[in-house]
Amino acid sequence: MPFDIPRTTATPAASKRSFLHENPSVLWFMGLLGVFTLGVTILSEGFGIGLISTNLVKILGMTLCLCLIAIAMDVVWGYCGILSLGHFAFFGLGGYAIGMWLMYARTEINIRDSLGRGTIPPTELEVSEAVAAQIFGVVGSSDLPLIWTFAHSLTFQLAMIVLVPGLLALIFGWLAFRSRVTGVYLSILTQAMTLALSLYLFQNDTGLRGNNGLSGLQNIPGALHVPQSVISMWFFWASAFALGAGYLLFAWVVAGKFGSVIRAIRDNEARVRFLGYNVEGYKLFVFTITAVVSGIAGALYYPQAGIINPAEIAPIASIYLAVWVAIGGRGRLYGAVIGAAFVSLLSSWLTGGGAPNIDLGFYRIVWTDWWLVLLGLGFVAVTLFFPKGIGGLFDYLVRKKP
Amino acid sequence: MLSMHPTFPIERSLPMSRLLLLIAMFAAFTMTAPLQAQDASSTPLQDALQSVQADVASPSRSTVPQVLAALLQADAPGTVDFLRAWGDRAVYVRDADGLFFYAQDAPDRMLTLIDIDSGASVATTSSRDLSQIRPNAGVRREINAALVSFELTHPDPARRIAALETIARSPDADQIIPLTAARDAETDTRIIGRMDRLLDLLNARFATDTATRIDAIEGLRGDINTEARRVLNQTLQTRAEFASEIPAGTNVARIRTPGEDISLVDAYATLSDAGLAPPRPGRNAIRDALRANVVDGEVGGVPVHLLTTDERRREAYRALQEAGIVAPLVTEADMRAAVAEYVFFDAYLEADPVVTDAARDSLDSTRTAISFWQFASLSLDALSLASIFFLAAIGLAITFGVMRVINMAHGEFIMMGAYTGYVVQTVIPNYTTSLVIALPLAFAVTFAAGVVMERLVIRHLYTRPLETLLATFGISIALQQLAKNIFGTQARPLTAPDWLAGAIQVNDVVSVASIRVAIFVMALGFLLMLLYILNRTRLGLEVRAVTQNPGMAASMGINPDRINMLTFGLGSGIAGVAGVAIGLVAQVTSEMGANYIVQSFMTVVVGGVGSVFGTLAGATLIGFLQKGIEWFNPANTLAAQTFMVLFIILFIQFRPKGIVALKGRAAGD
Repeated sequence: MPFDIPRTTATPAASKRSFLHENPSVLWFMGLLGVFTLGVTILSEGFGIGLISTNLVKILGMTLCLCLIAIAMDVVWGYCGILSLGHFAFFGLGGYAIGMWLMYARTEINIRDSLGRGTIPPTELEVSEAVAAQIFGVVGSSDLPLIWTFAHSLTFQLAMIVLVPGLLALIFGWLAFRSRVTGVYLSILTQAMTLALSLYLFQNDTGLRGNNGLSGLQNIPGALHVPQSVISMWFFWASAFALGAGYLLFAWVVAGKFGSVIRAIRDNEARVRFLGYNVEGYKLFVFTITAVVSGIAGALYYPQAGIINPAEIAPIASIYLAVWVAIGGRGRLYGAVIGAAFVSLLSSWLTGGGAPNIDLGFYRIVWTDWWLVLLGLGFVAVTLFFPKGIGGLFDYLVRKKP
Repeated sequence: MLSMHPTFPIERSLPMSRLLLLIAMFAAFTMTAPLQAQDASSTPLQDALQSVQADVASPSRSTVPQVLAALLQADAPGTVDFLRAWGDRAVYVRDADGLFFYAQDAPDRMLTLIDIDSGASVATTSSRDLSQIRPNAGVRREINAALVSFELTHPDPARRIAALETIARSPDADQIIPLTAARDAETDTRIIGRMDRLLDLLNARFATDTATRIDAIEGLRGDINTEARRVLNQTLQTRAEFASEIPAGTNVARIRTPGEDISLVDAYATLSDAGLAPPRPGRNAIRDALRANVVDGEVGGVPVHLLTTDERRREAYRALQEAGIVAPLVTEADMRAAVAEYVFFDAYLEADPVVTDAARDSLDSTRTAISFWQFASLSLDALSLASIFFLAAIGLAITFGVMRVINMAHGEFIMMGAYTGYVVQTVIPNYTTSLVIALPLAFAVTFAAGVVMERLVIRHLYTRPLETLLATFGISIALQQLAKNIFGTQARPLTAPDWLAGAIQVNDVVSVASIRVAIFVMALGFLLMLLYILNRTRLGLEVRAVTQNPGMAASMGINPDRINMLTFGLGSGIAGVAGVAIGLVAQVTSEMGANYIVQSFMTVVVGGVGSVFGTLAGATLIGFLQKGIEWFNPANTLAAQTFMVLFIILFIQFRPKGIVALKGRAAGD
C-alpha cells in the first residue's frame, strides 16, 4: 500500500490563523517534526545516504507512534484529569486489527502461491482452509475464528482500527462515568479492564493465537518484494504524518472553549456540573477520541515492530505510558512528546546494550539490570519534586524572556 | 502375583468346590491352630511336601488339591511363601534325594540352595543337579486361587487387608467364592465391611446369577468411590452398531437417527466402510482424481484453470465418471436412500437389560452424590482462594481505608515478605523453625519498609491522591527490578514443613491441602487480630478517629502523623506476612506481587473501602465467583479471571461504594 509523502510542514490553512497565533507551540512543533522527518529521510538507507540503519529508522518510527499515544494520554489525563490505565489496551487493539489483515493477506498470498503450483488450481474454500490451518496451527486449531471473517478485507480491518477501540472506550466510559466513578477508583477500573483484555487475549481459544500473538507483521502484502529499508521509511512518514495530524487535532481540541471546560472538569468536576455542563458527555468524548487515536498509533506501531502479543497489552504498559507523560510534563502536549521520546529512546539505548556499563570497582552497574530501578526512582523524584516534568523547563525559559 | 486368566465357569466348577472345602477346613483349623501348631519335626514344611513329593515336583491341575491338603494339615510357618514361590517357578528339586529348595544365582553358573523351612543357605551346587519345577498356566491359576484364600484367612489382619487390596487392584470372577468363604469366617468388623464392598464390586461385574448381580449393583448406589464407579461404567459400556433391523435380544442403549444423533455423512461412511455402499468421493478424492486425469490442460473437457469452484470440479468429475474412469459421485439423495435401509444404534455389551437398567439407575444416583461432593469441594477451594485474597488485600484495605492512599507497591511488599521467608529458609534448614522465624521477621521487614516509604514519599502527597498512585508505581517498578537483580529471575522455592505438606482426604472426590487449611486459619487469625486492634486498643481508637475526621482527631490530642505512619506500617507488615503464606502455595518470583495487586484492589473496592468486614465480604465474593466461573469452564482459569474482572466492573455500576458501604460523614469524599 503506497503512502503519500506527508506534508507535515504545510498544514496551516487560512481559516486557522487565529488558532495558530494563539498556539505558537503548534507551529514550532510542526516545524521541528518536518525538519526531523526530512533529516531522517536524507540520512536513511532507503531514500538517502544511508547513515541511519533501517533498524534505527524503525525505532524512530515506533517512537513517533509512542509520542502520538502519549499526546492522547496527556489530553485524557493532563487536561481532563482521568488517569486512564487502559490506553495501551486501545493501542494494542489497533495493532491487532491491522495485524489480522497483514497476517491473513500475507499467508493467503503464500498459500495461493504454493497451491497454485499444483496441477489444478485451488478453490476458494481450499485456500481459506489452508490459510486457517497455517495461522492457527500453533494453537492446535484449523478453523478460522468468527472474528477473522473479514480479515481478508483491508477496508474492513482499517475501519476496525478506529471502531474497536472507539466502541470499547465508549461503552466502558459510559458505564464508568455514568456511575460517577472518579479518581483512583477509575484508574483501578481501567487497569482491571486492561487486565481482563490481556487475560482474554492470552487464551488460545479466543481466536487471536493466544500468547503467540500475531507475527511477521513487517511484511506488507502487495509489497513483499520491496526491501525493508523502503518500507520502514513509508511507515516512518506515515507515523510522522499521524503524529503531526494528532498534535494539530488535540491542540485544536484543548484550545478554545472545549479545552477550558475539560480543564475545569479536571480542577473541580462538581462546580462544572453545577454550572450546567454535561460533565459525563465531555469526559466520554475525550476518553473515546483519545482511545481512537491510540488505536491508530498502535496500528502504525506494530507493523514496524513486526510482532504483537498479549504481553504488550498487560497493565504495566499503560503504567509506563503514564510515567512518560508525567516525566515529560502533564498538561502540555509537547511535554508528552518529549517524555515519550526521551524515556523510550533512553530505555532502548540503555537496555539495548548501547550504553557503557559503569565499573565502580566494588560493583559493576549493568544498565539492563538497573535501568528500571533508575526509572522507578526517577519517576518518584519527578512526582515529588517536579510535578511539571521536563516540559516545565520550557515554561521557565519562556517566562525568563522579557 | 495373582495373575489370573479369564476362565470358564463350567470348567472351574469342580475344582472350585473342592477348594471351598479346603478353605473351610483351613479356616476352622486356623482358629485353633496357634495352640497346637508346634510339630516335633524341625522341618515341617519339607516333611509335608515329601509326603506328596511327586505331586509337588510334577504338578498337574488334578493333583494340586492333594498338595494343598497336605500343607494344610502340616500348617508349617512358610506355607504361603512356598505356595507363592511354587507358582512363580522359584522352587527347585534336588535330583539326588528329591528334596525341595529355593535357589539363588551364584557365580560360575552355580546355584545357592536355600532351605524352605529355615530360609538359610545350605549348599551350593551346579544347576545340572537340580530341576526347576515349572507348573503350567492351569496349575498356577489353581495355586494362586489357593493363595488368595490362604491370605484372606491369614491370622494377621494386616495380611488379610493387603490381600483385599490385591483383589481390588485386579478383580477376577474366581475371587468371589474364596472371598465369600473368608467373609463368613471373618471376625474383624472393619475387614468385614471392606470384604462386603469388594464382594459387591465383584458380584456386580462377574456374578452369573442376575439377582445377585442386581443386588450388588444396588449396593453400589450412591457410592462415590472410584472403583465402584468404574464397575458401573464398565457394565454400561456400549458399542456403535447398525443393522437392517435390530436383532432380537440386543440390549439397545439408544437409537441414532441419521441427521440428528449421527450426521448423514458419518452414517454413510459407516456403511461404506462395511462394504454395504459404494464409497463417497469427498472433496479431496475428487481433487486427486482430477489431478490424476489431466490431459492436454483439460480434465473431462473442462480447462484446468477453470477448476477453481466445486461446481466446475464436479462437472469435470462427472465427465470422467461417464467415461468410466473414476468411481461414481454419491449425491445426498443417494446417501439418504442408503442410510434409510438401516437402523443405527448403540448396544450395551452387557446383554441383560435388567442389569444395565439397574446399573444406570445406580450410576445416576452416584452422579447426584458426586455433584454434591464436587460442590462441597469447590466451596472449599473457593474458601481457600478467598482467604488468600483476604490476606493479600487486608493490608491494602487498612492503608486505603484509613489514609485514602493507594499503595501500588503493596504487591511488592507481599513479594518482599515471601523473599524474607526464602532467605530465612536458606539460613535455617529446619522448615518448621524457619517458618516460625520467617513470619514475624517478614512482618518486621515490611513494617520498616512501609514506615520508610510513608516518611519519604507518601507524607508529601497526602493532598494529591492520584500522584500517590503514580509515585508508588515508581517504587513498585524499582522494587521489582531490585528483587530481580538480587534473587534472579527464576522462581525460588519456599517449602512448607512436612506436617503441612500433605492433604486431608475426605473421600475420593474431596481433598484439601493442609497448607490451604493453615492459610485459612491464618486469615481467620488476622481477621480477629485486626478486629481486636481496631476495636479494643488505644491505637485502634486513634486510627478510627483519624479515619473519621483527621482535623478533629488532631485537636483532641491525637498525632495524625504518627497514626498514619503506624497504620501504613501495619498494613505493609500484614502484606509481608501474607507474602510468606502465599509463597508457600505459589512460587516466589519478583513478579508475584504484581499478580495479586489488581485482584487485591478489586477485593477492597468490591467489599467497600475502610471496613475489615467489607474486605472479608469482597474476598469471599471474588473467591467464590472465580471458582464458580471455573466450574463452568474448568480447563480455563484465564477465562475465569477475565469474566470475574468484567463482573466486578459491572458490579461497581450498581454498588459503587462496595458491599459494605460506610455511612455518615466517614463515607464522604
